[in-house]
Amino acid sequence: MIRPMTPPFLALEAVTYTYQDGSPGLVDCSLAIARHSRTAVLGLNGSGKTTLCLHLNGLLRPQAGTVWFDGAPMDYSRAGLKNLRARVGLVFQNPETQLLSASVEEDVSFGPMNLGLPRSVVRKRVDAALAAVGLTEAASKPVHNLSFGQKKRVCLAGVLAMQPEVIVLDEPFAGLDVPMQRELQGILERLGQQGLTMVICSHDPDFAYEWADQWHILAAGRLAASFAPEQIPTALPRLAELGLGLPKVAELYKELVASGRLTAAAAPPRGHSDLLARLRQTAGSKCQPAAGSEGRSRK
Amino acid sequence: MFWEQWAYRSRWRLIHPGAKGLVALAAFGSAFIASRPGYLLILALVLAAATIRGGGLPWRVYLRALLPPLAFLLVGTATLAVTVQAGAGFWPLAVGLEPSQFPQAVLIGSRSLACLTALLFLSGTTPLNDLLVLLRRLKVPQVLLEIMTLGYRTIFIFSACAQDMTMAQKSRLGYATLGAARRSLGNMVAVLATQIGARAAAMTLAAAARGSDGPLMFLDQEFPPGRRSFLVALAAALVMVSAAAVAS
Repeated sequence: MIRPMTPPFLALEAVTYTYQDGSPGLVDCSLAIARHSRTAVLGLNGSGKTTLCLHLNGLLRPQAGTVWFDGAPMDYSRAGLKNLRARVGLVFQNPETQLLSASVEEDVSFGPMNLGLPRSVVRKRVDAALAAVGLTEAASKPVHNLSFGQKKRVCLAGVLAMQPEVIVLDEPFAGLDVPMQRELQGILERLGQQGLTMVICSHDPDFAYEWADQWHILAAGRLAASFAPEQIPTALPRLAELGLGLPKVAELYKELVASGRLTAAAAPPRGHSDLLARLRQTAGSKCQPAAGSEGRSRK
Repeated sequence: MFWEQWAYRSRWRLIHPGAKGLVALAAFGSAFIASRPGYLLILALVLAAATIRGGGLPWRVYLRALLPPLAFLLVGTATLAVTVQAGAGFWPLAVGLEPSQFPQAVLIGSRSLACLTALLFLSGTTPLNDLLVLLRRLKVPQVLLEIMTLGYRTIFIFSACAQDMTMAQKSRLGYATLGAARRSLGNMVAVLATQIGARAAAMTLAAAARGSDGPLMFLDQEFPPGRRSFLVALAAALVMVSAAAVAS
């Protein structure tokens, strides 16, 4: 079957951006993000992940190359940027820089108020966004009394309240403990199921392997590699070469297949629980005695 | 900062800030109208009791907030009753009490105390964020409100930052000697000063990311229906102003 060619929803085409101090942000970087996809952007510190995020939201303008959005080059006029930012939301890495008001619900209302919506609509959106991140109870709390994880969730709610089509999250798990990470992963999972296009910049290959359906790896501002999750088990040497950690599930799966304990599958397991289930299934089927063998052994 | 934290926990926090503002304003007015120190002291006591009992603040917390400005107030009032004259003989200056100034000093002192307790009543039951809601309704210029909003937010950011830096400096003996403490404090101030610019730039970027292209607009916090609290506040205001008129 021939699939129709559709232009990517968001794309960078040979984008270059150098900061004023001469440090490279992006260098001739090209990548594409499909509509309704979950894209993980991985890379070491200084690889250009944050610069990429800022380009996707129109906060930085490429010095060379083009950023494409919804089939057209990004429009950097005042109206164009307003439209872009209403459709592409960005959650910053450090919540302290994103939270502008000392009140939770006021801060969440900031984006929808900028969209010029009626106050009654803004109120509904704020309530819905706070419910989506599980912070309804904290609506009237001061921001400075929240934990770091809660502040991150307020930032996410502030973007969700704008009801964007794309959410870009820059290092959403940085500084979070394990329960908070799981909580945030649950929220992201629910948002993904609602059909939002999501882009997450992360250092965590385990999360990216389980969550994303497309990997883009940046190195020194360039796109070093792109993988679909099913390609990861065979791409482990390349990942190691790029200095990224290896997804433990993919590594283990590869070893188990190589040692004959698991049979290779078209869709390899992506999460710990999936791998365990397959192992148990394989172990169970190996323990099942062949027909008639049980009777013979009892003789 | 500790006072602000208690304001968030006040029992009267959810009463409309307009009602509390009306009481505080009436208390100020009453303090300026009245000229009998006895009435002013009673007014101060009532306002303090309302803040502690009504607002649910521990009295120790209240005293902690009251005592520093009270000390300034006492010193300031005492100087009103002191005269300094050119001395005769060995001493070039003669310092003495001026009994004729006592009534004036007591009146100004008690009036200031009443105003101070009125301010503590409002600030102890209404966090600044809620006051901003009131100021927006009162059509205070947008620029001032934005400065207040960002200033209020950044106070907490920089306070946390300064605390972390002080702790990090202490862990490396940064305050072990007087000289080291002076250097550490200087370094911290210098680093914080440079961070202000970076933070301001980051906040501008974050605001732009959420579609801001000018004024900072927020949805005002909603308070429970306030008809009853406004009526109570109005009655209290009338009582205070009438009593002050009698005591003038």
